[in-house]
Amino acid sequence: MAYPYVSDREVRVLSKYFGDPTQRRLDTYVERGGYQALKKAFEMGQDAVIDEVKTSGLRGRGGAGFPAGVKWSFMPKQPTKPHYLLCNADESEPGTFKDRELMRWDPHQLIEGILIASYAIRAKHAYIYCRGEFFEATQVLAKAVEDAYAKGYAGADIMGSGNDIDITVHVGAGAYICGEETGLMNSLEGRRGQPRVKPPFPAAVGAFGMPSTVNNVETLSAVPHIITHGGQWYRQWGTEKSPGTKLFCVSGHVNKPGNYELPLGFPLMELIDDVCGGMRGGKALKAVIPGGSSVPLLNAEECGRCSLDYEGVQAVGSMLGCASVIVMDEDTDIVKQVRRMVQFYAHESCGQCTPCREGTAWMTKVLLRIEEGRGTEDDLDTLLEMSRQMTGTTICVLSDSAAAPVVSSIQKFKDEYLALIRRGERVGVA
Amino acid sequence: MSEVPFKNPGWAGNTGEFDLDEDQVRGDDFVGTRPREGGHPSGAATYPYMLPEKHPDAPLFEGEHKERFEKILTRYPNKQAALLPTLGLAQEVRGHVSPETMDRVAELLELSPAYVRGVTTFYTMYNKRPVGRYLVQVCTNISCNLCGADDVMEAFLRYTDTEIGETSEDGEFTVVEAECLAACGFPTCVQINSRYYENVTPADVPKIIERLKAEGAGGD
Amino acid sequence: MADTITLTIDGQEVSVPKGTTLLKAAEKVGKDVPHYCYHDGLSSPAMCRLCLVEVQGAPKPMPACVTQAMDGQVVGTESELALDMRRGVLEFYLVNHPLDCPICDMAGECHLQDYVHEEGRDHGRSREPKRVFGRDDFGGDVLFYGDRCVMCTRCVRFMNEVEQDQRLCVVERGNRSVIDTFFERGLEGTHWHGNIVDLCPVGALVSKDFLYKARAWDLDHTPSVCPSCSQGCNIELHTRDNLVQRLKPRENLEVNAFWMCDHGRLNYEWINRGERMEAPLVRDQGGVKAMGWKEALTLLVARLGDVEGTVKAVASPFASNEDLAALEALVESLGGGDIVYRMPRAEDEIVLKGFPTLARRRDLASNGRGADLLGLRRVGADDGTGGLEDVSAHAGVVIVLGDGLADQGADFASGAALRVHLGTHSGPAVAAADFVLPITTFAEQEGTFTNHEGRVQRFWPALKAPGLARPAWLVLGALVAEGTGTETPRRADEAFARLVAAHDAFSGLSYDDIGTRGAVVNDTVPLSGD
Repeated sequence: MAYPYVSDREVRVLSKYFGDPTQRRLDTYVERGGYQALKKAFEMGQDAVIDEVKTSGLRGRGGAGFPAGVKWSFMPKQPTKPHYLLCNADESEPGTFKDRELMRWDPHQLIEGILIASYAIRAKHAYIYCRGEFFEATQVLAKAVEDAYAKGYAGADIMGSGNDIDITVHVGAGAYICGEETGLMNSLEGRRGQPRVKPPFPAAVGAFGMPSTVNNVETLSAVPHIITHGGQWYRQWGTEKSPGTKLFCVSGHVNKPGNYELPLGFPLMELIDDVCGGMRGGKALKAVIPGGSSVPLLNAEECGRCSLDYEGVQAVGSMLGCASVIVMDEDTDIVKQVRRMVQFYAHESCGQCTPCREGTAWMTKVLLRIEEGRGTEDDLDTLLEMSRQMTGTTICVLSDSAAAPVVSSIQKFKDEYLALIRRGERVGVA
Repeated sequence: MSEVPFKNPGWAGNTGEFDLDEDQVRGDDFVGTRPREGGHPSGAATYPYMLPEKHPDAPLFEGEHKERFEKILTRYPNKQAALLPTLGLAQEVRGHVSPETMDRVAELLELSPAYVRGVTTFYTMYNKRPVGRYLVQVCTNISCNLCGADDVMEAFLRYTDTEIGETSEDGEFTVVEAECLAACGFPTCVQINSRYYENVTPADVPKIIERLKAEGAGGD
Repeated sequence: MADTITLTIDGQEVSVPKGTTLLKAAEKVGKDVPHYCYHDGLSSPAMCRLCLVEVQGAPKPMPACVTQAMDGQVVGTESELALDMRRGVLEFYLVNHPLDCPICDMAGECHLQDYVHEEGRDHGRSREPKRVFGRDDFGGDVLFYGDRCVMCTRCVRFMNEVEQDQRLCVVERGNRSVIDTFFERGLEGTHWHGNIVDLCPVGALVSKDFLYKARAWDLDHTPSVCPSCSQGCNIELHTRDNLVQRLKPRENLEVNAFWMCDHGRLNYEWINRGERMEAPLVRDQGGVKAMGWKEALTLLVARLGDVEGTVKAVASPFASNEDLAALEALVESLGGGDIVYRMPRAEDEIVLKGFPTLARRRDLASNGRGADLLGLRRVGADDGTGGLEDVSAHAGVVIVLGDGLADQGADFASGAALRVHLGTHSGPAVAAADFVLPITTFAEQEGTFTNHEGRVQRFWPALKAPGLARPAWLVLGALVAEGTGTETPRRADEAFARLVAAHDAFSGLSYDDIGTRGAVVNDTVPLSGD
């Protein structure tokens, strides 16, 4: 069965079997070399596994980009309390749809990654926190976990190695903020999913008060490959500081939106023009959000200079985040889209911190008013001031994320705002 | 909306795919019914949209549901952590989480009812009021918005003859806006009960509604 | 010394133990960093973001309530950045906070008013409609004005952590979040919910009892001790127009921390009760005559000199140590005699689970222990009645101090040679006495109570006594002085010194020692109650 999004520019490491439903079957997975990495990891030993992942330079694929090996090394080497590995499958960032595909098509890859990571951090129990809306992906994953248990790849005495690792699939209930690592831990504990103050950090006090590590689905899916081929092998792609491949989720006004696995450092315009078949309808590019709705917008000129790795995107004034590239063409109504994004953050704010709770709602109301043509130029100053007060002042970065599109769109697309304010005219149509 | 027609191998949403059944569309039997008995320390997923309040006086969990509840309890180090899966299971049984249901759950897990209320209302997916047989959640977030989600939403409202956030008069459809459903490459994404419909255009909407009406009492 | 660190706050150096937060360290140099969600008696969620301070070298401003002080840190609580952050957060609060000051009880003691006035912007920039939640009755004594709430969650955390009866929760999330109870089930059945009104930094949680009664700036605050049980919670009497308007707890970490129970908090109306006796009344053949103190006491001293028979006395556990000691001294000087008191008792103790040394005790009066230590004997039933048969049948001298004799008739002690009553209100049993002398309540005099654990605590007068009413220790002290040819104590501390001199249990104590925190007696007298 042909998976719709294939480009010959792709390097399909994690996404090799996307579109192949037989990959969900344990026997197929094993035939294709599955669970050999796990076996190798057990033979290498826990610290060697951590070192290998450190060597690979794998950075967290959930948006923060923190090196995974370093994160694992924060866990105590001699556990005095139970450790937990938490797989963050709460994919809710607008524009992101890679984790769902990874869970649906290659669940065993994820499970193997989880098992290796749990082993490395001395955890005996891993929770996969799945987003509540992912019914099908959760079903696939749950079935895969059961099959793994049945054949001795998970649970007690895995593959006769003497290691016990349990996996529980936990389902969330619809809250973006539970994708934040401490929010996830609170939600797992049966509380409101509100982020916690750090310090203490999860490696000291995490889920149920025990040392925990939270990793994204894509990060964990990369681990078996790194163990099989070695950390150095992973570095053959990408850049010095951003090694490896990344699943880029392209959406918006391109001809072929979808997931494309490409080496980090790939030029943005090539992604749009070559891999995704260009702008739909041949329209001109207006703006791109390179890393999910939480990062600043880039205008067309900046896109031309942008290479898609963590440093490259930072160099043009944005962030790579989870590499969800949202492409907007010349007909886009920027004000409307920014308003919709801020509305999303207002809806999802947990309500603890004052700047976020009040600020996101206030910004939504101001933007709605501007959209309706009843805005003033003072409103733009107010929005910028609000954004400044919402950045760096809260427990988690949701309010920073809400402020980012506002600030960048006012800076780069001020004429659209002014058109609405001065003449009540919308520049775009969508 | 893409101008290049392609077959999305999972989902009915493209024109003409509606007469395939689940197995044909999905291609194999490993995605389909989830293990109903709750499985191993694994799935605790839920179907939240059963018809409301079947037997409000009966104990919350009976028989098969009671077994699943007990299995849920074994997966967490304490009862409080079992709260979210238990609420999901309660919603599966009762259709929505009413104050009485919150009270029962609180009793079962030895938590205070006010605490359970606080947690339940935090999460979007727990219905605080009864919903129609089909809960239509249309993603209107940015990626789908760029590709005409507002038109799809408007079409659903028109064809179900209801207001946004409300249930239609015949009790069949409740249409709400959803936040990003993580299917951004297949705009517009609509989740109806537990199933995703991707690449939905306004023209597809009447066909989807017809199909749902035809499925009728089978539930989902 | 390895556990002490030194840091600089606003240019001042300060040394604190390791583990101290910046908020507490700033307090040491006299800087109060504004805060809402932090409270000494509760957990610190660091969510109001009002206490953000500038820490040199840190990438962003840090919440002072949870950031631990480090050696050599340089902190600015009033630097430009800190002030800017605070101004921003205050503006965010005012986006949805209604301009209710003219009708809000909290005005005048409101932290939001104070902070905005000091450090907020002149004008808010929000032109959007505010979100509205309306007023909700939480049950018990609490009303909730949702619009005013700043979501500090102190109330929720108090019920969870201190009372440990989770009645409140935050419902919904984001800007739609609001505090609520479990639907119609409110705070009924809880015993400490009045504290959430104290905790609320704004006027979102208000006391129904105090609603619209008085403006905060009209009230005088007087430190006192709660009279309603033997815990002896440190309180303040808030008074206006010579009436007690409400009671508030006073911090004392050794007795009641920051809390007081609802029973004590709402049990103050009796202090305001009118129809007080205002002048000494003397009964003779011609009937009852009102007269001045000098005349009345001269007559009384003469009668005491003439009369035959032993003395039996009834005292009240609501009387202060000084009052009771003066009575005991008088009885001694008249040849000795039995002094009894009645104590209303509750069926059980109500312990505050989060601070277990604090409880609403079974003894429902403040000075039972003091009475015991001074040699008085407890009689009567748990409802505070009965036990006076001996006294009533007595043929000699009967002196009653403070006990209103509400359960006794006009024939009480009708066979006594001389009946003296010192009290606040009249009644059938009171009016029949030969000498009826008006005294003050604890709210109108200075004095001390001894709580259940033997802690002697001072209270101060908040109200002006009506008419000629005087403290009992002054009246009785004068009688003792006349009888023994000594000096009358003129001030409460002198009366206390006499008490200390006469009773070993109180040895070594003085008003200075006791101060505002209290001091524990060294005694071996067993408690007569539980």
